[in-house]
Parts: sequence; structure tokens; C-alpha cells
Amino acid sequence: MQSDADKRFARMQKATALHLAMEGEETLQHLTEFSDNPKAMDYFYDLFRNLYKNGHKLPTDKKVIGTMCLQVPDELIYAAGAVPMRMCSGAYAYEQVGAEFMPAKSCPVVKATTGMLHVNQALWGEAVASVVLPTTCDQKKKCGEMLKEMGYPVYILEMPSSKDSEGARFYWQESIKKFTLDLQKITGNKITSGKLQTVIADMAECSRLFRKLNDLRKSKTPLIFGKDIFLVTSAYFIDEMASWRQAVRQLIEELEVWRQNDIAITNRQAPRMLLTGSPPIFPNLKVPILVEQAGGIIVADEVCSSNRLLHDAVAYDEANLNDMAAALADRYLKPCTCPCLTPNTDRNRKLAELVKSHAVEGVIYQAFSGCLPYEMEQKQISNTLSKAGVPMLYLETDYSSEDLGQLSTRVEAFIESIKARRRKK
Amino acid sequence: MGEIMGNFRRAINNTSLSRFRFYFQAASFLLLIYGGYLALNLGDQLPTFACIFSEPRGGSCYLFGLQHQMTTPWTSYLSGRGIGLLVGFLTFIAFFIVFNKAWCGFACPLGTIQDWLTALRARFKIRYANYAEPTFQRLKKIKYILLALLILIPMAIGNSFFGLPKLNHDFGVPFCMICPGRTILPLFSGDFSQLALDLSSKSKMILTALGLMVTGIFLSGSFIKKRFFCLFCPMSAFHYIFANAALLRLSKDAGKCSRCGNCYRACDVGIRAIADDLQHKNIVKDDCMLCGKCVEMCPEEGCLQVKFLGLPIYQSTAEGFFKRMQGRNNAK
Ligand code: SF4
Ligand code: SF4
Ligand code: SF4
Ligand code: SF4
Ligand code: SF4
Repeated sequence: MQSDADKRFARMQKATALHLAMEGEETLQHLTEFSDNPKAMDYFYDLFRNLYKNGHKLPTDKKVIGTMCLQVPDELIYAAGAVPMRMCSGAYAYEQVGAEFMPAKSCPVVKATTGMLHVNQALWGEAVASVVLPTTCDQKKKCGEMLKEMGYPVYILEMPSSKDSEGARFYWQESIKKFTLDLQKITGNKITSGKLQTVIADMAECSRLFRKLNDLRKSKTPLIFGKDIFLVTSAYFIDEMASWRQAVRQLIEELEVWRQNDIAITNRQAPRMLLTGSPPIFPNLKVPILVEQAGGIIVADEVCSSNRLLHDAVAYDEANLNDMAAALADRYLKPCTCPCLTPNTDRNRKLAELVKSHAVEGVIYQAFSGCLPYEMEQKQISNTLSKAGVPMLYLETDYSSEDLGQLSTRVEAFIESIKARRRKK
Repeated sequence: MGEIMGNFRRAINNTSLSRFRFYFQAASFLLLIYGGYLALNLGDQLPTFACIFSEPRGGSCYLFGLQHQMTTPWTSYLSGRGIGLLVGFLTFIAFFIVFNKAWCGFACPLGTIQDWLTALRARFKIRYANYAEPTFQRLKKIKYILLALLILIPMAIGNSFFGLPKLNHDFGVPFCMICPGRTILPLFSGDFSQLALDLSSKSKMILTALGLMVTGIFLSGSFIKKRFFCLFCPMSAFHYIFANAALLRLSKDAGKCSRCGNCYRACDVGIRAIADDLQHKNIVKDDCMLCGKCVEMCPEEGCLQVKFLGLPIYQSTAEGFFKRMQGRNNAK
């Protein structure tokens, strides 16, 4: 006999699956509406088209280790014979689930992620061997507590809240070393230096390819839309790495041909934008799509679902576990520009450098309502940018489509103002 | 033409400087230790530990001559001796200024031996030791104290400080007595005599015993800690006084630095400033040996550069970084 609660849960499960499929389809519709998308993007469009089709399935039959922020070293998880899956969700349907039991003020990322894990618990069950949660922002930390209550095997990866001192660095190195040992227990597989070396090389190849792609965005002739870049990096959260690399390689090849033949994806005069702030994650690509529908092109970004995630690679000096684990730790902390870390200096510096390298003319700052780290740092970022002579548009938004009209008016006005600035120059 | 130069540059930046350095060090070692067989003599003012106690060397370490000259009474500096002293000193500076601290990274036989010991340890997959940052900052001062002593002690032989009695001649070359160059380098030409205790006087006995002790510490220390001895080396302290005038330089473009710390991790001496210093363009610090490992490991385009007379000869590139890391995996 099913209880009422069970029945309600089953109804919610069904409704969520339905909404999710529709939501994904809608985003894809918008993404593909732009004319002349690169052929190689089809791989990514298809990947996401299938993702929610018959219920949200896990991407692999192997043991999955969920990761909650970008500071979890994927290399270690692969070397332990499991598959990492970044759990941060961009789905409004999941946010709705989370909203039922989470404070209204919490940010959409944690609501959606917790909602997703709640509604899919029976479906994914044992396959999720662990959910690894670095101690970054307060909401993520508390959401870890909730997941534990739900019965998920949550692993807290202790991370310092500052990265400048040697003390913080060693503390984090110790955390990563402990994680290395614990992962072997969780998966039952031994992490050897040989395996780790191979995986580090594979992941370095991912970074190398991402950088190539990012370099193509420097081109004066616009070659690729930001909305597509965010789709490629969202795919990195869940895709099989070898196929991801293959698909990115093909995309780069195609764009190289465009570059040589001077083929532009859009108007050559399109204002060049940078997007930063809270992370755009499929299917929530609302803001990037708006910007590019309004005639801008996002040529650079500083978000944890794209550039911050993929730019860096591990550099070890000696091929033993001891040195490689420390090198892994450094790679995920030292260059990290997450605003949960203080001071925020490196993030400001990186933005200034991106403005230069990608010839950025305007910055779109997206802050999810409820996300304090971003809401609080935006003033500082805006000051840094204005020193560099670049205007910034601050948008507070969430996963719903209610604010679309309001947002698009503001984005259009901003893009027009950049064009006007240009005329004055 | 521009394209050819560009490709040439690119090829150089893609190479493994460490491999080149390995062979260069081996060649320098042979020249400095056995150069005498080829009648090679680079003079007595080399800014590197080509030890005077080792035959048939291809040139000699300046520290011996320097200490020796310091023993003369001050009054005689005003005569012809002073000119000899000055010429020697200028020759040392001339040698140094061209290559800067690359003498340490590419030529010094003691530096090379330390690198060999490191390679041996790494081969056995034994983990290395590191100092905590505050310890490092404290220890690195020792080399300046040694430098001061190796000048002041000989001076106290020819002169009387504050009316104190003059020192006896056993202290003529005090640093050489405890320098591992004296005990170790002659071994490569089959000369074991420097390992003996000198019992001819009490002070000589103490000094030679101390020398043996330092030698033991040198060997075991540099087996577990990369470039263990260099941190204390008075030659390195002496170098640094002139480093700002050098033609070969290491420079940093702070705007491009992500502070990823790769360079600091790779640095055998453990110089943290290479990653964290965002102020200085000229980034050669007193412990640096200009080995270029930091440049190899830096993944940012043109962030670190080795320059000669202002012209970049080797610089960090993303392409080079990924090539070298991939090569490390392939070599497995
Ligand atoms: S940093 Fe902001 S967007 Fe990310 S999880 Fe925390 S509150 Fe949410
Ligand atoms: S003992 Fe040391 S300081 Fe003296 S000459 Fe030899 S290498 Fe130089
Ligand atoms: S610092 Fe090291 S490499 Fe340089 S002279 Fe001294 S021992 Fe040789
Ligand atoms: S490796 Fe390069 S980018 Fe990284 S900290 Fe050093 S100088 Fe900066
Ligand atoms: S700072 Fe760079 S060049 Fe100097 S010793 Fe360290 S790794 Fe070598």
C-alpha cells in the first residue's frame, strides 16, 4: 500500500521529469535558433537533448562521485576508478523541488542541486558512492548537512577560506592527501602513481583544448558565441572525458578553418562582452542567450562553470604520489578566483587581464538572488573595471523566466550604450 | 623572415630546458674538474666552486684567492698588491655579470652534484624534504654570515682588530677548510687526501674535523632536500651583491601571473617570491640559480622570461608547458 506521502512524491517525480525535459528542450531551441552554428556544436546539442529525455540518468555505469564545487580534484576520482560528476544544477525544475524544503532566500544553485539529489535519490541510489563537498560558501556547507540527513554519503573536503598564506596551502594539501586515502576506501581501488600520472595528462589535455578554444575567442572576427562555450563547459560536468575532448578538438578545427577564411559567426561590430558572477549552467543559459540575442557577443568569462574550471592544469615535479597530491592541491587552490576566498585580489587581476587579452568592451555581472559572495563583491569588481575603462551591468536574477522582459530591456540598453560609446571614441 | 624567427622562438620555448641543463651541467663538470688535461685554464677568479684543491681542474674558485688576499696587512693594499687585488676582483665580476646566477644552475660542480643526488633520490621514489617558509627565511641569512666571516677572519691574520692579538695562519682560508668542495671534488680525480684529519696543530685538527662533518651533512642533506647546501653558500651571497648589474636576467610580467604557484613548486631552492611577487620585474632573488625550471613550469604566455641584454631567449608559453607535462607522462 502506498502512503499519501509516497504518492505525492511519485507525482512530483513525474512532474519534475516532465518539466525538466521541457526546460532542456526550450534552452536548446534558443541555442540553436541562432543561424550558422558550427557543425561541431551538434555533438553538444545532442548530448543535452538526450540527457533529460527519459528521466535524468547518470552518465555512466561506473561508481559516480558527485562533486559540489570546482575545487574537488577530478584526477583523483578517475585514478580511483570512479567517475566524477559535478552536481551543481542549473535546472529550474529542480530548483522548484528544492524550494519546497529550503529557505526562500537560498540561492538557486543550492536549491536546484539539493532538489535534484532529493528527487532522484531512489533512481540513482547506490550508484552515487559519495558527494564531495569542499567547504566553500556557507550555503554549500549547510546544503551538505541536508544531504547527509537525506542519507547521502557526504564527504566534507576541508578547504581554507584564504589562500595566500603557506599555512592555508599546507592545510589544503593535507586535506587532499587525506582525500586520496579516503577515496581508496570509498571505491575499494588503489590509487597508484602510474594511474594518477596518466589521468593528470588526460585532464591537462582538457585544459589545453579549453585554452585553445578560449584563445579563438580573442579573434577580432567573432568566431563562436558565448552561449555555445557555456554549453561545452556544462558538458564537461557530466560527459565522458575522451568523447568530450574529441568533440572539442573538432570544434577547434572547424573554428580554425573559419578563422583562416575570415568567416564571422555574427556581426563583426558586435560589442565584445565578458560575463562574470554566479555560474551559468545548462539549462539556465538565460543571460548569455539574452546578451547574444541583443546583438552582443560574449568573448570571455570568469565563472566557475567555465574559464575558472578549465584554465589551469596540474604541474608536478616528481612522479611520486607525495609530490603529485601536493601539486593537485596547489592546482585547485592557488590560481582559484572563487570569491569565497579572501582576499579577492587575484579575481580582480584576472578580470583586468581578460579585458585586455580579449578586447572586452563591456561586462555583464550575473548575481543569483540569494548568493551573498557575489552580491557583496560586485561593487569592488565594478570599481576595478571602471578603472580599466570598462562599464559593467549588474543583473540580479534566478532560474525562473519571470524576469525575462525586464532583463532583456536592460541588456539591450546596455549594449546600445556600448555602441554609442564607440561612436564617441 | 619574421615567420622563421617566430617558429624558431616557438621551437625553443617548447623544449625542455631541464634536459638541456642536465647535459650542460655534465659538460661543465667535466671541463671544470678535468679541463687541465686539455690544458684549459679559465683563471683563478671563477664565480663558481671549481675547487683549487682539485687537480687537473680547468679553472679555479675565486673564494680561495679572495680569502688568501685578505690576509695581507692593510698597509700593503696601497702598494702594487692593491692593484692585483682589484684586478682579481674585477675579473670575478666580469665573469659573473655575463651569466649572473646561471653559474650556479649550469656550471657549479657542487651544484651539479646536489642535482645528481636529487635525481638519485627521485629514482628511488623517496620523498623529499622541504623547509617551512619561516625556517627558510631564517636559514637563508646564514650565507651572509659565512661570507662576512670568510673575509673578516683572514683579515684578522694580517691585521689586529681593536688591539686584539692577530690570528694564526691556520685560519688563512677558513671557509675552504669547511667547504665540501675541498673534500669532495678531488675525489673525482682519485685524490682522497683531503679526507684526512690534519693533526699538525690543534686548530687545523678542529678545522679539518669540521670540514668532514660538513661534508657528511652536505651529502645526506642534499639527498633529501633539493639544493640543500646552496641555501648556505657564501658564493651565492657574494653573487647577489652584483646580480642587479648582470646581463642575463629572469623577468616577470606580473599582469599575466595567475599566482598558480607552479613556479614556486618547481623551484629546487624554494623561492616563494617567484610566484607571489607582483612588484618586481627583475625577479632574480638571492637564492636563485637561474635554472629556468620556473619558466618551464609557468603556463602563462610570456609571464616569465629569461633575457640576455633585454632580449628574451627563453620564455614561458602555454604550448611549451603542456608539451613538457605531456612529455613527462610519456616518459613514464
Ligand atoms: S557561491 Fe553563490 S551561487 Fe555558488 S553556491 Fe554559493 S551562494 Fe550559490
Ligand atoms: S674549498 Fe671551496 S671555497 Fe675553497 S677553493 Fe675549493 S671550492 Fe672554493
Ligand atoms: S650556491 Fe650552490 S651552485 Fe652556487 S656556488 Fe654555491 S654551491 Fe655552487
Ligand atoms: S607559474 Fe607563472 S603564472 Fe604561475 S605563479 Fe608562477 S609566474 Fe605566476
Ligand atoms: S626562481 Fe626559477 S630560476 Fe631561480 S632557482 Fe627557482 S626555479 Fe630556478
